[in-house]
Amino acid sequence: MDRLININLNINNEKYDLSVKPNTLLLDLLRDEIGLTGTKRGCDTGECGACTVLIDGVPVNSCIVLAVEVDGKNITTIEGLSHNGKLHPIQETFIEKGAVQCGFCTPGMILSAKALIDNNPDPTEQDIKVAIAGNLCRCTGYKKIIEAISAAAERMRRRE
Amino acid sequence: MLRKLKEFEYFAPKTIPEAISLLDQYQGKAKLFAGGTDVLIQMKQRKLIPEYLIDVKNIDGLNYLKYNTDEGLKIGAYVTHGILANSEIVQEKYTALAEGSLAVGSVQTRNRGTIVGNICTSSPSADTPPSLIAFDANIKLISIEGERVVKITDFFLNPFKNCMKENELITEIQLSDLPPNTGSAYLWLPKITALDETLVGVGLVLTLNNIEEKVCTNIRIGLGSVSPMPMRANNTEEFIKGKSIDDSVIKEAAEIASKETSPRSRAEYRKEMVSVYVKRALNKALERIK
Repeated sequence: MDRLININLNINNEKYDLSVKPNTLLLDLLRDEIGLTGTKRGCDTGECGACTVLIDGVPVNSCIVLAVEVDGKNITTIEGLSHNGKLHPIQETFIEKGAVQCGFCTPGMILSAKALIDNNPDPTEQDIKVAIAGNLCRCTGYKKIIEAISAAAERMRRRE
Repeated sequence: MLRKLKEFEYFAPKTIPEAISLLDQYQGKAKLFAGGTDVLIQMKQRKLIPEYLIDVKNIDGLNYLKYNTDEGLKIGAYVTHGILANSEIVQEKYTALAEGSLAVGSVQTRNRGTIVGNICTSSPSADTPPSLIAFDANIKLISIEGERVVKITDFFLNPFKNCMKENELITEIQLSDLPPNTGSAYLWLPKITALDETLVGVGLVLTLNNIEEKVCTNIRIGLGSVSPMPMRANNTEEFIKGKSIDDSVIKEAAEIASKETSPRSRAEYRKEMVSVYVKRALNKALERIK
């Protein structure tokens, strides 16, 4: 039961070589051991999406993923979106459109949006709603979030 | 909310023989998992406290989705809802199954959770069993004692209980190829959000002799969340089979379906909704027969 397992992760393009207990959750590893606190703990049961991270580009709820399951994988947290202080287009439009109030859902919401746009550069409103159905927001009522995602997709298409 | 998981030992076997040997060795103390979207939550809630956790994701040869006209659709143990929902062949030929998988949770859930895991949890309100029942799925199991095949209609025994033995592993779900003039649909009534439980689920496969006469040569209906386990609407099927499908047949079939169910809570409302959704599913399946 005390056995530590060695894992190698790539988090936001940085390599980490770690020894973890099997019962370590990815969310706890990111926040407590690595110090990336942008990913939030909400419901802790894989329903609210506040803990969303990308594993090999794919959104998952990190509160129900064990660290040992992601050995060898590429993890993207919200901290990985901006580069040298320059914001990602989705971060830009979220601010411009007023899609952030308390900000707690925002990291997860933006990562879900990124995964959507990376796979579907011209998403419809329905596509956006399905993509963020697992990211609950108690503040905004979702309208400005959907507008921000749509605007970000357009911005990213123009920059291509 | 209990956040920390109790300690356990973690195995990631690379072959089926390794996995079934572990299952046998640690019988009663081990739990299999793939996506973890049910198992890890149950462990957080202390509903499950395994001493050994066996991860199936690294087992060679379980991650496949294959179709051919002889054997139909074969779904390997590590196929997520996301893969099924997005698969062109599943959308085209086994539409009700793609729709069932799409109904599960959110994008995040579907990227991890598997259809095999969904049936193992055996929730009465799960979204994939109704379609699996409608497609008459076969479940392939293996243990150190050997292999066996169980029909989906024999798989569920009680709420959250199925016929798997403690040392067994599901390797595949197999759906036979479909005859021409077949259409299918999965429709469901949710509570409110994408993550909420399904209140009524209807999975339906309909085959006609031809689209002019519309005589039903085969009909299978799976209903979810309206009985202790996912059920087959036997009386409804018997009524529809052999008849030419028209509005009055659909209307009566929908009423018969409602009477076959026994929802545990909000019974009057849910029985009414069974009628509504069976009617819609019949119309949808009919529409899809070209």
